[in-house]
Amino acid sequence: MKLLAGALLSGVMALGAGSALAQQTGGIVNVATIGEPPTLDPMVSTADLVGIVTQHFFETLFTFDKDWNVTPLLAESLPEITDGGKVYTIKLRSGVTFHDGSAMTADDVVASLKRWMDLASRGKQTAGNIDKVEVVDPSTVRIVLKSPYAPLLALLAFNNSAAVIMPAGKMANPLTEPVGTGPYKLKERKPDQYIQLVRYDGYKPRSGDANGYGGARKPLLDEVRFVPVPDPNTRIEGAISGQFDYVDSLPVESYDRIKNLQTTKPVLLKPFGWPVFVMNTKQGVMANIDSRMAVRMALSMEDMLAAAFGSKEFYSLDGAMYPKGYVWHSEAGTEGKYNVADPDKAKALLKKANYDGKPVRILTSRQYEFHYKMAQVAAEYLKQAGFSVDMQVVDWATLTQRRADAALWDIYITHSPFLPEPALIGQLSESSPGWWSTPARKQAVDAFNTESDPKKRPALWAEVQKVMYVETPSIKIGDFNALSAQSPKLDGVVPAPWPYFWNVSVKK
Amino acid sequence: MAPFAAPQGLSQKRMGRYVFQRLLGMLAVMFVVVTIVFIIVRIAPGDPAAVMLGPDATAQDVASLRTRLGLDRPIIIQYGIFFGQLLQGDLGESIFLNRPVLTALAERAEPTFFLTLFSILIAGIIAIPVGIMSAYWRGSLFDQGATTLAMLAASIPSFWLGLILIQILAVRWGVFPVSGYGGPGASLLTRLSHLILPAISLGVVSSALILRFTRASMLDVLNDDYVRTARSKGMSEFRVIMKHAFKNALIPVLTVVGITAALLVSGAVVTETVFGLPGVGSLVVSAVLRRDYPVIQGALLIIAALYVLINFLIDMLYLLVDPRVRY
Repeated sequence: MKLLAGALLSGVMALGAGSALAQQTGGIVNVATIGEPPTLDPMVSTADLVGIVTQHFFETLFTFDKDWNVTPLLAESLPEITDGGKVYTIKLRSGVTFHDGSAMTADDVVASLKRWMDLASRGKQTAGNIDKVEVVDPSTVRIVLKSPYAPLLALLAFNNSAAVIMPAGKMANPLTEPVGTGPYKLKERKPDQYIQLVRYDGYKPRSGDANGYGGARKPLLDEVRFVPVPDPNTRIEGAISGQFDYVDSLPVESYDRIKNLQTTKPVLLKPFGWPVFVMNTKQGVMANIDSRMAVRMALSMEDMLAAAFGSKEFYSLDGAMYPKGYVWHSEAGTEGKYNVADPDKAKALLKKANYDGKPVRILTSRQYEFHYKMAQVAAEYLKQAGFSVDMQVVDWATLTQRRADAALWDIYITHSPFLPEPALIGQLSESSPGWWSTPARKQAVDAFNTESDPKKRPALWAEVQKVMYVETPSIKIGDFNALSAQSPKLDGVVPAPWPYFWNVSVKK
Repeated sequence: MAPFAAPQGLSQKRMGRYVFQRLLGMLAVMFVVVTIVFIIVRIAPGDPAAVMLGPDATAQDVASLRTRLGLDRPIIIQYGIFFGQLLQGDLGESIFLNRPVLTALAERAEPTFFLTLFSILIAGIIAIPVGIMSAYWRGSLFDQGATTLAMLAASIPSFWLGLILIQILAVRWGVFPVSGYGGPGASLLTRLSHLILPAISLGVVSSALILRFTRASMLDVLNDDYVRTARSKGMSEFRVIMKHAFKNALIPVLTVVGITAALLVSGAVVTETVFGLPGVGSLVVSAVLRRDYPVIQGALLIIAALYVLINFLIDMLYLLVDPRVRY
C-alpha cells in the first residue's frame, strides 16, 4: 500500500534517515502549538492537537509507516487474522514498561481497548462490530469480530480518538494521571503556559530504522515543551526570532517571510488535507439531491482555493478524494462534476428540485480563515446560480454545536488531513452531521469496510467515491498544503500531519 | 492610624454606616453580575462537550458528556447548584483544566498582577510629567505635540502596538522574548522579562487617558488663588507647581489611575493572548472559546469584585484626602 508518496516528503524522509546516524542526544525543543489541548486523554477527543501532544507519551498497538501502511508499535507484529477475517490475535512486545515502571501486560491492553470502546468516538463506532476482546496469555490478546471489518487495524493505529494503552489501574475518566509507554513522559502541565515532556529512560525502541510513525522511536531529546501560542502572528514572530524550535500551523502568507532566514526555515507538508462543504441531507434545502448537485455545478473550486490560499504553491485543484500518490487515488465519478462553475446547469437542477428560494444557510467560522474566504466566494457563485444565501459566521465552538442540529443549517464547512484509511472519514458515517444515509451509500461503504484484502479495497473505495459524486453528501473543494517552521538546528524532523519529535535531535 | 479612621468632621458612626451601605451595595452589584454572567454563558451558543470531544465526535457522545457534566439539567437547577457552591466560597471545577476554578485563577494571578503594575507604572511615568508640563506650557508647541501624541496613543489598539514592539524589540533586536512566560523552572526575573513588551504596549495606550486628566486637572488649579498666592510669596516655579498645584490636582488623577488599573485587570485579555501570557485575561479568552462555564463565571466574578473594590477604595481615599467630600 502506497498512500503517501511525493518527492518532497520522500526526500526529507531519506534525509532524516541518513542524518539519524550522526544524531546526538540531549537538548530541549520548544514547540509552538496553535493552543492548549482541551484534554490530555487521547481517547476522548478527536482534536488533532490532542493527538499531536499525547502521541509522545501514549502509544497504540499499531501505527502507520511512511507509506501509511499499518505497522506494529506495541504489538510484536501484525495480527494473525483467522476465521475469515473475524479473529485478530495480537502478540504483544515483551519488555515494554509504563512510565510508572510497571510492565505492560495483556490485561492492560484489554482494559484499555474496553475503555476505548466505551469512551472514544471511534471506539464506540467500532464496538458495534466487536464481539469480544480477551486475554489469551500475558503477552497475547484476541479481538473477535461479529463480522469482518477491514478498518479495524487502521482504527487501532490512529492517534486521533486513539486506542492508546494505559495501565489497567490508571485509566480513570476524566484521566487524572496520564501514564503511557511512549518515548517521552509527561512531567508538568501548566495550562496555557507549557506542557513539559521529558525523556523516558526506560523506553525500548523497536529494532530497525525509523519508518514514518513506525519503526524505531528514539527519545534523543532531554525535553520537548509544547507551548500554546494561539495568535498566528505571534507564532510567526516566535519562529523568526528563534524563540521556538518548531512552530506548527503557520498562515501560508508567511512563507515568503520565513523562506530565506538563518533562524528558521519552512516545513511544507504537501499535500496536507482537503476543505469540504458538508451538506445537510436530512432536512432543509440540501435534503434534495438535485439541490446538492446544483451546488456542485455552481461552484468554482479554483476561485475558492485561490481566495483561501493565495499562491498555487499552497493548493491544487483535485476532485479525487485522495491525491495522486495515494493508493486510494481514483478519478471515478469526478468527470464533469468538479470545478464546473456553470450557473445554467445549476439553474436547471434547481428548477428540477422545485427550489422555492429559501435561503441556503452556510455555517462557517473565522477561526479557520480559509473556511470563511471559501464561503464568501461560494456564496457569490451560489447567488449567480439562483440560490438565496444566508451566511452564518460563528465561532468554532458554536459551529460544532449547531451542526449537530439538522434544523439549523444546510451547508457547513470543515477540513481534514488525508486520513490513512478512508473509512475514518467522518462524512461516511450515518450519524455524522450531514446524516448521509441511502441504500447506495450502505452498499458501497459496507462492501469497502468488509473487504479485508488490501489489493481489492482500492477498487471498492473508488465505488464509494463514485456514489459520493452521484449523491453529493459533501463536496471536496481541493487539496491544500500545510506550512510549519523549524529551526535549522533541528535534525530529523519529518513533515507530518501530526508532527512528532522522537528521532529528532539538536545539532551541537 | 487605622486605614479607614474617620476623617476630620465625619463621625465614626456616620463613617461606619456609610461603609456598611457601600458594602451592601457591592454585594448587590456582585449578585447581579453573577446572575447576568451565568445566564449569558448558558444562552450563548456553543457547547463545552462538543469542544472537548473534538470535530469528529458523534451527537450521542456529546449528549452523554453533557449529562456527565450536568449541562443537560434545567438552567434554574444549574444556577441553584452554582449559587449554593458560591455561598460556600466554591467557584466550581474547570471542565477542561481538571482543577478548581479558584486554583486556576490563583495560578494566573502573578502575570496579570505584575502586568497591571508595570503598565500603570509606565503609564504614570509617561503621563503625569508630560501632563503637568503640557498644562504649564498650555498652547505651546510642546502642549500641542503632547496632546496629539496622547490622542494617537488612545487610538492605537494595544495588540497592534504589541505586534510592532515584537517585530522591533524581540525579532529584530532580540532584546526581549516574543511570547510566553518562561519555561519550567524559570526565575522570577526571567518571567518578569516576558512582561516588559506587553506592559509597554498597555502602558503607552493607558497613558493617554491619564495624561489628559493630569493636564485638565492641572489647568483647573493653576489659575486658583492659592497658586497665585504661592507665586507672590516668591516661591520657585517648581515648588509652586509640585507642592501647591500638583498636590491638589492629584485627586482626580488618582481616580483615573485606579480605574485604569481596574480596567487593565479585565482589559488585558487581547494583549495577554497576543503575547501568550498565561494570565487571567488569556484564561478568560480560552475559557470563552472552549465554553468552560465555571471558569468564565469565576473569572468574571473575581474581575467584577476587583473593579467594585477598587472603586470603593477610591471613594474611601477621597474621604481621607479631601476634607470637602461628605456623604
